[in-house]
Amino acid sequence: MALSKEIYKEFEDVVGEENICADPAIMPAYYSTEFAAVILPKNTAEVQAIVKLCNKNKLKFRPICTGWSGMFPKGIILLDLRRMNHIIEINEKNMYAVVEPYVISAELQAELMKRGLNFCIKGAGTNCSAMLRGHGHMDQTTSGDDRNHLAIEWVTPEGDIVRSGALGSTDEWFCGDGPGPSLRSILTSAVPPGVTPGVFTKAALKLYHWPGPSSFPVVGQSPKYTLSEIPANTMARYYSFPSVEKMWQAELKIGESEISYELMGFNAAMVACNITTCNEEEEEIFARISKEVQGPGFFVIIAGNSPEDFVYKKKVLQMIVKEAGGKSLKTVEDPEIEGILLCQCIRISASIRETFRAGGAFNSIPIMGQRDLTIKWAIGAGKAKEPLIKKGFIVDDGGAFFGWGVEQGHLGKTEIFCKFDPSNPVAKKAVEEWQKEQTARAFTERYFASTMGPQDKIGPALLNYNLWWNKLVKALDPNGVSPEGGTLV
Amino acid sequence: MGLEQYQGDMGMCCRCSACKFIPMQKVKGAEYSYACPSIARYNYHAYSGGGRLNIGAAMLKNGFNYTDKLLDIVYNCQMCGACGVSCNYAMDMEVLEPINEFRLKCVEDGKTNPALDKVIAGLRKTGSMVPAKSKRGDWAAGLNIKDATKEKVDVLFHVGCQTSFNKDMWKLAKATAKILQKAGVNFGIAGDAETCCGGRAYQMGYKEDFLKQAKKNMSMIKKAGVKTLVTGCADGYQAFKVLYDKFDLKGNLEVLHISEYIDRLIKAGKLKMKKKVNISVTYHDPCRLGRLGEPWIHWEGKKVPGDRFVFDPPKEYRRGTKGVYEPPRDVLKSIPGIKLTEMTRIKEYSWCCGAGGGVNESNPDFAKWTAHERIKEAVSTGAEAIVTACPWCEKTFNEAIKESGSSLKVYDIVELVEKAI
Amino acid sequence: MIEKEKLVKIVGAGNVSYEQAMLDEYSSDMSFVNAVRPACVVKPNNAGDIQKIVNLANETFTPLVPVSSGPPHFRGDTVPGTGGAVIVDLSGMKKIINVDRARRVAMVEPGVTFGELIPAAEKEGLRLNMPLLPRKSKTVIGSMLEREPVIMPKYQWDISDPLACVEVIFGTGDEFRTGQAAGPGTVKEQWAVGGVQKAPYGPGVASWHRLIQGAQGTLGIVTWASMRCEILPSLEEPFVVGSSNLDTLLEMASWLIRLRMVNECFILNNTNLAAIFAKKWPKDYRNLKDALPTWTLFYTVAGYEYLPEERVSSHIKGVTDITQRLGVEAVKAAGGVSANEILKAVQQPSGEPYWKLRYKGACEDIFFLTIYDKLEGQIGVMNDLAEKAGYPASDMGVYIQPIVQGTGCHCEFNLFYDRGNPSELNRVKELSTLAVKNLMAKGAFFSRPYGETTGMIINRDAASIAVLKKLKKMFDPNHVMNPGKVGF
Repeated sequence: MALSKEIYKEFEDVVGEENICADPAIMPAYYSTEFAAVILPKNTAEVQAIVKLCNKNKLKFRPICTGWSGMFPKGIILLDLRRMNHIIEINEKNMYAVVEPYVISAELQAELMKRGLNFCIKGAGTNCSAMLRGHGHMDQTTSGDDRNHLAIEWVTPEGDIVRSGALGSTDEWFCGDGPGPSLRSILTSAVPPGVTPGVFTKAALKLYHWPGPSSFPVVGQSPKYTLSEIPANTMARYYSFPSVEKMWQAELKIGESEISYELMGFNAAMVACNITTCNEEEEEIFARISKEVQGPGFFVIIAGNSPEDFVYKKKVLQMIVKEAGGKSLKTVEDPEIEGILLCQCIRISASIRETFRAGGAFNSIPIMGQRDLTIKWAIGAGKAKEPLIKKGFIVDDGGAFFGWGVEQGHLGKTEIFCKFDPSNPVAKKAVEEWQKEQTARAFTERYFASTMGPQDKIGPALLNYNLWWNKLVKALDPNGVSPEGGTLV
Repeated sequence: MGLEQYQGDMGMCCRCSACKFIPMQKVKGAEYSYACPSIARYNYHAYSGGGRLNIGAAMLKNGFNYTDKLLDIVYNCQMCGACGVSCNYAMDMEVLEPINEFRLKCVEDGKTNPALDKVIAGLRKTGSMVPAKSKRGDWAAGLNIKDATKEKVDVLFHVGCQTSFNKDMWKLAKATAKILQKAGVNFGIAGDAETCCGGRAYQMGYKEDFLKQAKKNMSMIKKAGVKTLVTGCADGYQAFKVLYDKFDLKGNLEVLHISEYIDRLIKAGKLKMKKKVNISVTYHDPCRLGRLGEPWIHWEGKKVPGDRFVFDPPKEYRRGTKGVYEPPRDVLKSIPGIKLTEMTRIKEYSWCCGAGGGVNESNPDFAKWTAHERIKEAVSTGAEAIVTACPWCEKTFNEAIKESGSSLKVYDIVELVEKAI
Repeated sequence: MIEKEKLVKIVGAGNVSYEQAMLDEYSSDMSFVNAVRPACVVKPNNAGDIQKIVNLANETFTPLVPVSSGPPHFRGDTVPGTGGAVIVDLSGMKKIINVDRARRVAMVEPGVTFGELIPAAEKEGLRLNMPLLPRKSKTVIGSMLEREPVIMPKYQWDISDPLACVEVIFGTGDEFRTGQAAGPGTVKEQWAVGGVQKAPYGPGVASWHRLIQGAQGTLGIVTWASMRCEILPSLEEPFVVGSSNLDTLLEMASWLIRLRMVNECFILNNTNLAAIFAKKWPKDYRNLKDALPTWTLFYTVAGYEYLPEERVSSHIKGVTDITQRLGVEAVKAAGGVSANEILKAVQQPSGEPYWKLRYKGACEDIFFLTIYDKLEGQIGVMNDLAEKAGYPASDMGVYIQPIVQGTGCHCEFNLFYDRGNPSELNRVKELSTLAVKNLMAKGAFFSRPYGETTGMIINRDAASIAVLKKLKKMFDPNHVMNPGKVGF
């Protein structure tokens, strides 16, 4: 669906010849969709101009940053926000940073760590946009979901620039709410596609204290990086427990006592993924660790603000683990492994080794919310993986789930996935069916309603939120230029 | 064979974008986080490592549609391998190999770049990748260097096209000779019998020309009875050590880069760094000495059917781990007075100088742009000079410095060693 | 106008009033908004009643004004903005629905006050993250929906905290539950499988609770709300730090919060502290004011279940590192007010009379959000304006509350005055308007616009208001929900 010469020229006038391309050669790199064009805007003004042109010419657009995934209808204009890659401000005193969409988490985090600060790294990995709404390994300390955004600069589907909260009337980014009701209610995703229509061109992110070093002393050669020393007042351990109940007891107490910097409910398979450098090694280490763990468990990072603080937190951790019958995994007590995991969980956010390395694809059911409730559901979902493992459709990870505490256990997240080879149609189908069944079971048994489920069932069960959302989208996007769909990254 | 053998690898690309950046735990801040010059310059995802794999996979599936834009994507790539290193931190899959195969296929299908065609025409005529305006051994006049084709030598010093024919680079050859002489090494050069290693031709996509060159060189080496080859050119190093091995042409030839050899000589007490060289430097790892200089791994096998992308026998991937990183640094550290400050992008995730993959010839602006980025990074360390171990890197840096007016100096490692002995 | 019979049918005769005295009570408040008499006052018993009322309001285009707290009101948001309004008084809905220690959450109806919820929470070992000394009649839901700042910034991860989920009847008459409460299943069905109503985001990708907060009842009427609670400490050590240098105290507060070492944390000037703690008027008040440092930072260090003394001692050491660096001292009392006294006071609602009314019987609050660096300048502006208006700056109370784990600051000026004295009233009224104007010019963000200055505030952000108006149209197409508020 080619753009006419005239319309192409209009976009070219905005961004320059180099920054628009409609050649089919570039399309397979972008999701194999026949886009009308890929456009690379430089700043908010260019985004606004592009959106206005889309409205004028009745064209649809979809923005991406690093662009991991999404759903892209044919003939859409793809806004690749790569050139919008600046850290606008880091305000240490008021604990926020302002970024453009293509600043990746690794970049922002590195700058923050130099200043004794940190922020929420999303589980998609530090190779993805820092602006994302999302949850990650360090949520215990750095919160997650939509709770880390402050002010947001948003180009609406009609091409207006809305600056939420304080930004709308002052030049300040520290507050994204008001005057009156908060637009953060609907500015609920860092970067569309998939959620709020329009384009987020800048966002302020909440920051957190980082008691660790200004940079990790990473040594070694890829793929085996570790730390030359464990940073002062820092410790990472993996504990397994005799039962889910005991694990949950410990997890809860750790949250309540506010001692953990990170509490990541890895299963043994994920520990193996993170500390190994190839699939074969992973299988071998998983087999070994599986024998060492006594049941479900979690990975904990303790980081003291001072030596006394560290001693206190360590003591309390040991008390809690002992009370719950927990056992420390010897492998992780090895400083080399401890260092690898510290790096994986703080600087990388793991994900790729855990998800794509094995087979090239994974299907997941992630649920944010009430941890103990979602664990209950996840146990069943894990059992349902076993037949797929037996048939060789999915990687054997013991049928495990994982998750973690958020905001010192106030909230939580649980996720379970199946890793498989996407070129195996039987495996793919089996995984998709598992995903559908378990999502449906969660719904019928009242654990939660994944919005990935069929909207005609989920919507009414959740008070027709989807109808309200659709109404809102229509009001914001009368010309239908900013369609939804797919996950965001 | 060809691209088809990498269909599975290309299918494994999940578009995580890691290939665009240096390994995450090495990112030091907002600056110097990009690994791939191609997407850093051109911005479309198609120019990244992952983008190229996606394109390759699509074309295998839907047929090859060569447009100008596609060729622009293909040829604006230094084939530096940074994408593969970043990807292979986490993923078990080939990255640079399928990218390379795609280029070989373009050339095979006659979809060449005219500038590169010109270079190859010159290679076919003169055995050189650069205009051969003199004779290969002219730089050695008056230095009493043995002719390795006529006398028995322990070490063959392969000079390389750039150093042989670019008068600005003769100093490297002379310095190397002086160093080897000082260390009492029984070495020689092949003079006119030396011909291009073919490495750059391979990067450009001209496989047959590369093989021709490789066979010519190995025939000469065999005839001369040489057991050890030392070169100061990273392209040459990678060609002899890795590519020749890949195509089963290397035999038992020991291949060393001059920096490796000097390191060996110092550690064996055969070379002493006596004089002080008071200069603050930063070291640039050439792609083909570093991550791409890793030994070739001969492997043949089949994918194990099932859930994982694993093979029988298990496949060991070349992830840039075993490149030559420490020897040049050890050499620098052994020179009294040298103060070495590292850049952010070093070793297996070093930023390319810009010259590789035919870009120096097909798109000198892009090559220079890439070099400019590197010069900026070098200057940010506060060093007075950037040191490297490849004449192509040096040439490109010098061009960028000249244009920018920077006061940064460029040295090859042999030049500093020469000052110190 | 909704017919009386229909209202009586819904809530019962005893819960509908057209009596003048009753109507007068809702016609005006302590703010400077124009007095507008409502048509009647209705007291619903439950969500079903409310839904029926809203439906009737839509049929007859009758404005509804929801109120949950008892008098005196201060903001003007519960005074009808237009004639013929029906006051929907929720103060009688007093059920404490749920208090769950394990999940640290409580759930209440709109009429529950702090004084009522605090002991119920304490029984379960929980506490609320409270605003500073709310008046006795202030309801928990009212406070949370207004986004009132809370005194434990460490536990305010997001500006919407401590609010979790709400059940709301939108202006359309549709019932909705936000966050985890949305479903699947009814609340009771969720409880049956062990679910509580705590995760605030959703349903779907929106965070609808953020829309209800700050809306002043213009989008719907909340019928219950859940909130996150914190664990009651087993050990608490409060401290005060006095200084005439506000900057130093702000710096200290920012680090205490950043390092998560303290629970309660706020700054009061001497005027406000004296107003809170003076026992006899006016002598005590004047003496206290003179004795107290210009600014007092108050904070508490706490221990919980595991090794509380060690925790407290470790935190105190950490705090001492900061005080030594800044050249101040943390002490147990200042100017005759002890830290323990302050702690005891702020963990409860205000005693009667409401502390803001003790000095002169009335109080006008001017409050906004800002960042640390701008605060001194803004205070300077306010002081100048007050002096120029003939209101001695030293008579003005100042309350500084770091919010959202230190990403911003709530700054509040309390102008005490005698409402019975027309010149005082006019002075404060004019000063209030002038203050908002000038403080906005100095970068103050009035995130909670009330009364006469609302227009001035929202006019500066036309783009956001345009979007809010679209939302208003969706949720209240007939414009029956508290018309005239928040610029709608």
